[in-house]
Amino acid sequence: MSVHIPYTVARSRLTCGCIGFLTVLAAGTTAFAADYYLPIVMPITGFMSVEGGSQRNGAVMAFEDSKGISVDYPVFDTGTSAAGAATALDKALSSGEAVAAATSIFGTEMVAMMPVAEEYKVPLLTISGLSKITESGNPYIFRFLPNDREIKVAHARYVKEKLNLSKPALIGDTTAYGQGGFKLLQEYLAKLEIKPVFEDSSIAPDTKDMTPLLTKVKQSGADSIVLHTVAAPMALIIKQARASGMDLPIITSSSLVEPTATALFDPAELANVCAETPSAPEARATPEMKAWADSYKERFGIEPDGLALGQYDGVMMALKLIGEGADTAEKIREAFHEATYQGVAMTYKSDGEGDMAHDADIVCWDGTSRVPGIAAHYAGEEMVLK
Amino acid sequence: MTFIQLVLSGLALGAAYALVALGFVFIVNATGAVNFAQGDFVMAGGYAAILLSTSFSVSFYMLLPLVAVVTFLLGVLLAWVAYFPLMRRPPATVFISTLLCGMILQNIFLVAFGPEARSGPSIAGAGMVRFENLEISRQSIATIVVAIGLIALQYLLFARTQTGRRLRATAEDRDMARAVGIPATSLIAVTFGIGTSLAGIAGALLANQFFVSPTGGIPLSVFAYIAVVIGGWGSLAGAVLGSMLISVFQVIVSAYVSYAVATGALYAAVLLIFLLRPQGIFSERVQRRV
Repeated sequence: MSVHIPYTVARSRLTCGCIGFLTVLAAGTTAFAADYYLPIVMPITGFMSVEGGSQRNGAVMAFEDSKGISVDYPVFDTGTSAAGAATALDKALSSGEAVAAATSIFGTEMVAMMPVAEEYKVPLLTISGLSKITESGNPYIFRFLPNDREIKVAHARYVKEKLNLSKPALIGDTTAYGQGGFKLLQEYLAKLEIKPVFEDSSIAPDTKDMTPLLTKVKQSGADSIVLHTVAAPMALIIKQARASGMDLPIITSSSLVEPTATALFDPAELANVCAETPSAPEARATPEMKAWADSYKERFGIEPDGLALGQYDGVMMALKLIGEGADTAEKIREAFHEATYQGVAMTYKSDGEGDMAHDADIVCWDGTSRVPGIAAHYAGEEMVLK
Repeated sequence: MTFIQLVLSGLALGAAYALVALGFVFIVNATGAVNFAQGDFVMAGGYAAILLSTSFSVSFYMLLPLVAVVTFLLGVLLAWVAYFPLMRRPPATVFISTLLCGMILQNIFLVAFGPEARSGPSIAGAGMVRFENLEISRQSIATIVVAIGLIALQYLLFARTQTGRRLRATAEDRDMARAVGIPATSLIAVTFGIGTSLAGIAGALLANQFFVSPTGGIPLSVFAYIAVVIGGWGSLAGAVLGSMLISVFQVIVSAYVSYAVATGALYAAVLLIFLLRPQGIFSERVQRRV
């Protein structure tokens, strides 16, 4: 009945900083005497550490919530780099006989890890949104967050159908994630007969001064800003836009829906800001979501987000399949393609390519709190734009 | 009007960067050592501002002086750890030792504050001030005012006080200064402290709009180095002018072309300066002024 925990993940904000050291320790260990080995390989440091931290929390909580299955789950830090990710996964998979691995949210890292998964023949459970990772024919990738190809439909439709905006400024960053989502938004906005009055996808993730960008947005006469970037530039764009008096509606990708990202703002700065997200556990819209969110907050001391919940559901599905007899990497891979799983956030079912999640929420902040409310929900056919 | 607005924005950012570069030059002049932890002291200032304002509710008026004191002490510590034990070794040794101290600082930030970015307190509150069609944030005005004040203060310190004259004498020839009774070791430690406290104040000024993170200081160290190369190696006025020039250049080119071109062009310009004018753009003028 016990879940083997190789080490205790830090609870306090202070000790959260020790993750780098813990990672080093964990990386040096080999599989314990647990029944199953399922490593966590994620960006704990670097510019994706915010997203990676949420993802790691979700995975760790799932292992802790598992009943009757003994799992060893050391954490390996990818360092937010493609080379680091491939190396970390190789080390993780060579350290024990993994039945699966919970892997990075960062598309650039996932692309680097995919050949390693194929070499070891181990399924990767990810929440990376980058479209191509499930569209490249690799049978070992399972995504528990909607494919950007789906969730960007919700993003674009909300701009057009709910906010009635027609002159957005469309902004993306230079990461694979940023570039992929930017192109999809271009495509979907065009299908919705919206022509952005300004487009820029050249924002490097380490860009600090957004004045030039915001000046161009102002000049363009945009009625809104549609963002698809990782958390760091997104937060800076919103912060500096509000500081410069720009109160346009800003509709962002899911990176903003994280407590460590929203903590960068005064609540008033988030007024008129919305974001797409696979789910919004922090809004506690259902009893299941509330129970999970309260448990997460008690466990980690911070509000949860959709990234943590997506990874939680993914790992819980893997543990359920293991409990039902899928006790090898190959059996789990096959089971993922066949099974349907009712998670906390939504129902997960593979579309045949490894995309398991097909729901999305749009959440908005009202300027009085850092916790957003759900403004719209999209599922099924609503996530497809013809 | 947009062009003038962009120049104004560039100058506001340049004012903060000038403090970083100025501190960098202080240390170069006093010791001949390149302090490649300078950017990490910017982050130290940002984190100190966050800690002082959130944990100790320090007021706006006391925040910058206290940040200056904290980073001054850290700078003195840097001198004793990374400079004095190695000062008779080749310059590259000190360069590496400051780089290593910067990495140690980054890891201390990581352990103490976590890997995520943090937003510092607003020094002058939110909102914009308008002059006809131009507008500038209150935070930017505060940055410019503080930078001008500190630059003026350092000028007075070095040009008009006995301590300043002793600091300059120590920078000129440490052994000769000692021979005439100047406490060179203490003054070098003070110079490190002044240099890093300027970086710390810049960090406190930038932390609200640009955030702080454990590794956020690395590009600032490079920036300070470039500003000094452009402005003229060892020139205080050149460091200020170089910072302003770089900031305005980056803002203008990013706005009219792209971020990528602005960054590429800046590094290309530095290469050209290395080749064609290694003493820096402003060095002659500055020497004449002195």
